[in-house]
Amino acid sequence: MREIYAAPLPGMNLAEMPGKLIVIEGTDGVGRSTQIRLLRPWLEQQGRAVLDTAIKRSELAGKGIQQAKEGHTLGRITLSLFYATDFADRLEHEIVPALRAGFVVLTDRYIYSLMARAIVRGADARWIRNVYGFALKPDATFYLRIGVDDLIPRVVFSRGFDYWESGMDIHPSEDMYDSFRKYQAELLTEFELLAKEYNFEVIDATADARMVFEHLRAGVARVLSGEPREPLFSVATPAGEVPEATSKKVLEMPTPVKPAASTSEEPAPAVQALAKAAEGDTKR
Amino acid sequence: MKRYGEHRFPGKLFVVEGIDGSGKSTQLMLLHQWLQAEGYGVVFSEWNSSPLVRETTKRGKKKQMLTPSTFSLIHATDFADRMEHNIIPLLKAGAVVLCDRYIYTAFARDVVRGMDPQWVRELYSFAVKPTAAFYYRVPLDVAMKRILDGRSGVKFYEAGMDLSLSEDPEESFGIFQGRILDEYEKMVPEFDLTTVDATLPIEEQQTYMRQIVKAKLAQAKRLRVAP
Repeated sequence: MREIYAAPLPGMNLAEMPGKLIVIEGTDGVGRSTQIRLLRPWLEQQGRAVLDTAIKRSELAGKGIQQAKEGHTLGRITLSLFYATDFADRLEHEIVPALRAGFVVLTDRYIYSLMARAIVRGADARWIRNVYGFALKPDATFYLRIGVDDLIPRVVFSRGFDYWESGMDIHPSEDMYDSFRKYQAELLTEFELLAKEYNFEVIDATADARMVFEHLRAGVARVLSGEPREPLFSVATPAGEVPEATSKKVLEMPTPVKPAASTSEEPAPAVQALAKAAEGDTKR
Repeated sequence: MKRYGEHRFPGKLFVVEGIDGSGKSTQLMLLHQWLQAEGYGVVFSEWNSSPLVRETTKRGKKKQMLTPSTFSLIHATDFADRMEHNIIPLLKAGAVVLCDRYIYTAFARDVVRGMDPQWVRELYSFAVKPTAAFYYRVPLDVAMKRILDGRSGVKFYEAGMDLSLSEDPEESFGIFQGRILDEYEKMVPEFDLTTVDATLPIEEQQTYMRQIVKAKLAQAKRLRVAP
């Protein structure tokens, strides 16, 4: 039985999603898409069907967001909600059907990047968590960690600074470099908080792409084998704590279980959510 | 981020709510005329009208690809754009802003479509609280007759056809509107909506509306607007 953060979407049955939902998170330019390009053929060679998805790829809202961003007239709350629309469309029309069909879903960013961006732009942290309360909890979230100093040369010598990735909408008086630095530092701070709260598996992304891939591959292999999480990645976290060794394992329940028995982390809302989910598919 | 609450802007915000066929838009139009004649700077904002989001909403409706969640979120996006670029700046500038439908429309429709009531309320918590929110209460059969007499048919989402309530659009429309009516009734005490009996003659309803608006405008400044 899959879990979600708060209340499920109408008609979403959380049972029977045998696929795996694997999230690759990290800031702009850290190399997420490179890693997904490497992971996909590796998984396919092993006979695993893969769906990869990313922000703005929804049929419904992808184009609309692109157009709205070109105008630079997008308000901060509007931008957050436009992204949420895109996410919901992909969740219902791509991610969930793929998980039902037993695919490995590799998602280039998930709700966490969207939350971090919104919070850095002044959104209320509680508000944005509520917005994404219907998201499925992933089987694993691999966070490609990098510091601003290591990030800058990568961005400069590849695609250059981008208006939105530099947070020019919130630091309009700065030049691109100063703004990028400031904005990315804010984002990275937010990512660290999210990493802790959502129990990310941290991978040191300052290493070369091949090394990062080795780590990632080991992590993904472990998720697919259903083994519990181990402290594979001995990257020290800034606050001095070590990524947690256990938990986070998503159990494949043989039969639907009573809501109260299936979760122990979040008492009231999660139980409610699961109780509702147990009512099952009504509309689809 | 400011959360739903009393705003401190010099402007005033009046909104009308009610099911289709309740006559709310007619009442708002009459109020608009009167306020302009009285010399107030009045601006009108309609539900689902943001140019930034229009294409996306249109596409979703045309291709019938909207689910309860995306229906809800795209309307919230539209509303956010109007709130950030239109309503709040106007209230800051001291305008009288009139909205045909406001967040209560979303609360009613989205909840009928199965979205969690608390989730939807929290989603719109960036909205400012209206100076007064008028709810035009009308029995379902009266509203249905008004709508179906005046139109050739109802649209897919308008009739709630996405909920598979009935194969027949008119029947689906009736069931859907009835459920929305129930949601509105629940919101009257929750949000302290000002209820107007929408079966009364139009002039009587307007007189009542103007009385209430006038009392709320007592301290508002009039803007000299070029004729």
